[in-house]
Amino acid sequence: MKFIFKLAVFIIPVSFIFLFYILLTNNNNYPGADYNVSEIPFFELKNLEDIETVTPDNLKGDFILNVWASWCITCLIEHPYLMNLNNNGIKVIGLNYKDNKEDAISWLNKYGNPYKKIIHDYNGTLALDLGVTGAPETFLVSDGEIIVHYQGEVNKLIWEDVFLPIIKERKMF
Amino acid sequence: MIIEISHFLSILATGLFFLVGYFGLFIKSHNTKYFSNLVARTYSHGFLFLISSFIIYIWLAITDNFSVEYIASHSNSALPIFYKISSIWSAHEGSMFLWIVFLSLWGFIFNIRVHNDEILKSKSIGVISFVLVGFLIFLLWTSNPFNTILPIAPLNGADINPVLQDPALAIHPPTLYLGYVGFVIPFACAISFLLHGNSEIKWELLVRKWSVAAWIFLTAGITLGSWWAYYELGWGGYWFWDPVENVALMPWLAATAFLHSLSVSIKSSQLRIWTILLSILVFSLSLFGAFIVRSGIIDSVHSFANDPDRGLYLLAFIGLIIFISISLFILRLSNIQSVSKIQKFSKQSFISINNILFGTLIFSVMLGVTYPLIYEFIFGQKISVGAPFYNAIFIPIVILACIFLFFSIESKWSRNINIRLNIPILLSILFSTIFTVFVMIFFQTKNIAILCSIFAGALIIFRYIQEILNYISVKKFVNPFSVIAHMALGLLIISIAFNSLLSSERAMNVVFNEAEKYKDLTIVLKNLGVENNSNYDSVKATFFVKDLKGNSFNLYPEKRRYFTRGQITTETAIHTTVLRDIYMTIGEQLDDGSWVVNIQINYLIRWIWISAMLMGFAGLLLIVSKRYKT
Repeated sequence: MKFIFKLAVFIIPVSFIFLFYILLTNNNNYPGADYNVSEIPFFELKNLEDIETVTPDNLKGDFILNVWASWCITCLIEHPYLMNLNNNGIKVIGLNYKDNKEDAISWLNKYGNPYKKIIHDYNGTLALDLGVTGAPETFLVSDGEIIVHYQGEVNKLIWEDVFLPIIKERKMF
Repeated sequence: MIIEISHFLSILATGLFFLVGYFGLFIKSHNTKYFSNLVARTYSHGFLFLISSFIIYIWLAITDNFSVEYIASHSNSALPIFYKISSIWSAHEGSMFLWIVFLSLWGFIFNIRVHNDEILKSKSIGVISFVLVGFLIFLLWTSNPFNTILPIAPLNGADINPVLQDPALAIHPPTLYLGYVGFVIPFACAISFLLHGNSEIKWELLVRKWSVAAWIFLTAGITLGSWWAYYELGWGGYWFWDPVENVALMPWLAATAFLHSLSVSIKSSQLRIWTILLSILVFSLSLFGAFIVRSGIIDSVHSFANDPDRGLYLLAFIGLIIFISISLFILRLSNIQSVSKIQKFSKQSFISINNILFGTLIFSVMLGVTYPLIYEFIFGQKISVGAPFYNAIFIPIVILACIFLFFSIESKWSRNINIRLNIPILLSILFSTIFTVFVMIFFQTKNIAILCSIFAGALIIFRYIQEILNYISVKKFVNPFSVIAHMALGLLIISIAFNSLLSSERAMNVVFNEAEKYKDLTIVLKNLGVENNSNYDSVKATFFVKDLKGNSFNLYPEKRRYFTRGQITTETAIHTTVLRDIYMTIGEQLDDGSWVVNIQINYLIRWIWISAMLMGFAGLLLIVSKRYKT
């Protein structure tokens, strides 16, 4: 009995430490970034206001496609940076992912809207075609081609390390 | 040049603390008096060096010395002096520096308040010093705040993040840090006790007031943080189960359990194993909090810039501390057996139940923090564990704890008295039932969780009111600290229950001079103006709000755009009355010219913070009271 107590007192903290060691070392630099160029899959979805239909033909030029949802906490953390990008003239398109229309609209009203246009993907079909695993994820798109696919929060660090070099190289925006 | 002096003083302090640790823990001498004096004095000198280094650093921040890289990237010459100072703890390096200075400050006060003859003192100071050395090496090696930009220093700094330019934020981190690092004192004394291995020594008595003091700072720090997120970040609530809120809550829960367990160990030398384990747990969880925010392992408003090296160092350091203290504990386990069995239905028995319940809560929060990380690691998908998980665990356990607390009021130390359904108990149950039924009918709710919480909170309050009345009429003994802290707990639970029962929010579109109705309020947008300030532009709206009783007032929500960082912040407008807050933020202007505003009516939210502060106040009374000498 006493031995089991000693063992438990020792094992529990050690296993937590070990767990965090694995999580921390696994976190290599930018595991979320994928630079394989691919075409935007075809889709036909309504926008968030349910007024117009959006297809790849409506989306010309260079833009950032950001997958978000009102239930996603990390999206809220990412949000000020997207507002900042929008203010600096980067065109940001939103892909509202598996979210209620009402929740999404009140979220935007509460925190502000960084998106030029929002595609409402309630069933996650487009997201599935894009290879989205969760929110937030962000795509850099140029003339119908996906150039960067990033999984996770975009912040100043990620923007400068993952996106900006490619934007400069291709002279986008 | 001056920065090098500051840097050098820190390095000197590290060396001195290492010596203190070595002297305190490893030197065995017959001349103990000489050695305890040596340890105490050397520690004081180390502290003197460190505090001088920090004061010089503050001076550099006040005088806008932008050749220091950290000051250049987090301060700005346009800032008021108050924020120039608080910019020091607005990011990783400086806040770590502050953390270490506070750690050494606790040690210093302990050093001058506790007499050198105290048998545990030298070893405790030694433990504190080694912890300090570990953190100082972390600071100087992985996150040096003394780095300079030379030969050409920038003309101006990059400014502090605007959401941090706020008085509550300027004092929230220092208060919280004082709480976190304060638990180094009980930890160091527990380790020192284990090293001596003599169960006759009453280490618990030595640390009581120190632990309560640290607990007060932790309580106040968490409350301030909750308040800041409410009005400055525009989160519009009091608690969000954000990972960083959770890593502050875990040490608080552990510390609360520790204080209860401590009182038993002091009174009757029971639960000593619990008390030692809890003292190790509190301090480890405090360090764990530092690890979580500084390693970049989670995304949160609190997390600092990512750097895996820092995370690894901190993890290794925490691992080392835990490994040493647990090994020592296991080694000495047979020496510290409690003297006697705990009587059924004695105060001790209720406190051991309390320990188990708090342990469950801590473990659940730990699970809530780590589960998304494990899930992401295995399945590659981000998930968040949110309020539903925590509510499902906290509500039943807290209600259960309240019921045990209710019956424990009757119990006595070390004695088994039959707890009968006597008049005070029956009266409290009766009043609480009436109150709960009244709430159920008046507010037309059938929400079991809310009603049970209200019942449990009311039970405690009514029971303690009778204790107070008994004290006034027949001078029946009451423990004033326990009464205040536990009544505050009852008030806290009732406030939280009413807050979730009654509060509501809505986003609406408003047009100039057109009245909008929400609940009992009529809202009119009167005016909207652009203001130019020294470091930001703002759009400021004037709303005229009137309720059914005819009370009217103006609210001025704002949106600001800060120049140096281009960041846009939302300034909330809040109208506070005794029972509720009317809370307003403005959003975007729509194409038809109308504005989106978000309005919330938050009931009893102030009372949540008042109750938390009341708990802290109970602790403060205990510290200044003459009843406990140490």
